[in-house]
Amino acid sequence: MHQGMESLDPRVNRLPKIESHESSSTIRPLDQLGTYEVFVQPKAGKPFQHEGCVHAPDVELAYILAKETYTRRFTCISLCVVETQRVFVSPFTEGVQSAYALIDEGFKTDGAETEFEIYHLLKRGKQHIHAGSVVAHNETEAFQKARTAFSSDKPVYNIWCIPKQAIRFTKPEEEDLWMTLPEKKFRDAIDYKGGDKLKNFLENTSANHSS
Amino acid sequence: MNDLALKELLYKIADDLLILGHRNSEWTGFGPLLEEDIAFSSMAQDKIGQSYALYTILHELGEQEADTVAFMRHASHFHNCQLVELPNGEYDFSLIRHFLFDTADAIRFEMLTRSSFKPLAELATKIKGELRYHTLHANTWIKKLGSATEESITRLQNSLNYAMPYALGIFEESPYEKVLIDSQIFEGEFALKQQWVQKIEACISQTKLQLPDWKIVTPIYGGRVGNHTAHLQPLLDEMSEVFRIDPTAEW
Repeated sequence: MHQGMESLDPRVNRLPKIESHESSSTIRPLDQLGTYEVFVQPKAGKPFQHEGCVHAPDVELAYILAKETYTRRFTCISLCVVETQRVFVSPFTEGVQSAYALIDEGFKTDGAETEFEIYHLLKRGKQHIHAGSVVAHNETEAFQKARTAFSSDKPVYNIWCIPKQAIRFTKPEEEDLWMTLPEKKFRDAIDYKGGDKLKNFLENTSANHSS
Repeated sequence: MNDLALKELLYKIADDLLILGHRNSEWTGFGPLLEEDIAFSSMAQDKIGQSYALYTILHELGEQEADTVAFMRHASHFHNCQLVELPNGEYDFSLIRHFLFDTADAIRFEMLTRSSFKPLAELATKIKGELRYHTLHANTWIKKLGSATEESITRLQNSLNYAMPYALGIFEESPYEKVLIDSQIFEGEFALKQQWVQKIEACISQTKLQLPDWKIVTPIYGGRVGNHTAHLQPLLDEMSEVFRIDPTAEW
């Protein structure tokens, strides 16, 4: 029987082969690395804000890969990453309702207390922004303490709560990582102003045609 | 005398960075994962930027302009070590080369922050953060993949064995070592190599990789005096193609 060429598209190659009969096998795990959430502090005195995520094999490599993925263009002074699974998320709300109205009540207080970083979503479609930190026995208590400490008349549409110890922060000696970034304007389209050149080119071309 | 010694030093550092920057940029769009592709490409860009800064210093010392120096020389006039011109091969080799070269590069520039030649000391201080990132990136990947799976360890080990004689070629001494050391421009290749061996050992000892016995590895020299492998000229031809067609082309 004629064998077709195997596809070069990895998405196609991940599909099970048609008509192949594999007897009682287990499901294979995805060939994907886990994800890590990335937060950037744009300026001294400004809060950290969520930028997106990276795939990485561990938190240290997530930090390293996030640095170039998210901070290779716009200046910033600090970066931090945390495994996506370590981010506790409140329900989402909209309109005038605050997500703090929907968080779980009641919590246990056994075990040790630890610090949690709290992030707020203040506009749907925007990024989560750092609101502050609280000390609590667990995330349920942390959400409630955050409600007391950080909620106001302005509704918060979603809350993230992250155990601080799970976060890979920028170390003090790493603050020079972005030192030469302001000189790398060549990474931005604005550094390549083609408008005048295009105008000259078009004028020359039309002049040649009409002559 | 000092001037010749200084130019020789600047040329070899700049040429290393330009050639490796170009080689590493060949991974752009082909990296093993998107984030790593971006990171490796950014570092390649950093290296080319660093070489440009050094060619600019050379121009101030009376050499031709950076573009001319970068694009118009024949391979035999390049002073880079052979390690940086070798083809990329697979990612394991590129990572090992990145680790071996950037470790040396970071120590070299750390030494140069104390150089009596001020423009070089200033440049070395300025790019500290870039070099910190490059070595953090290299060390972390080597530690991770050097202890991960049988395949990753075997691949890195084979690349390490292959690259090591070339890596020792980084430290090929110039005829001006003594002048550079005496005038406190640069602490010298021998001192650099000693610190490099310590750093390489410190990282590799945290993996399942084995370092060769330093005494039995024969360094591959020649790059610093213009003897190159057959791989350099094709790289230069490709890198300078546009410039040679139209030296006034704007970007």
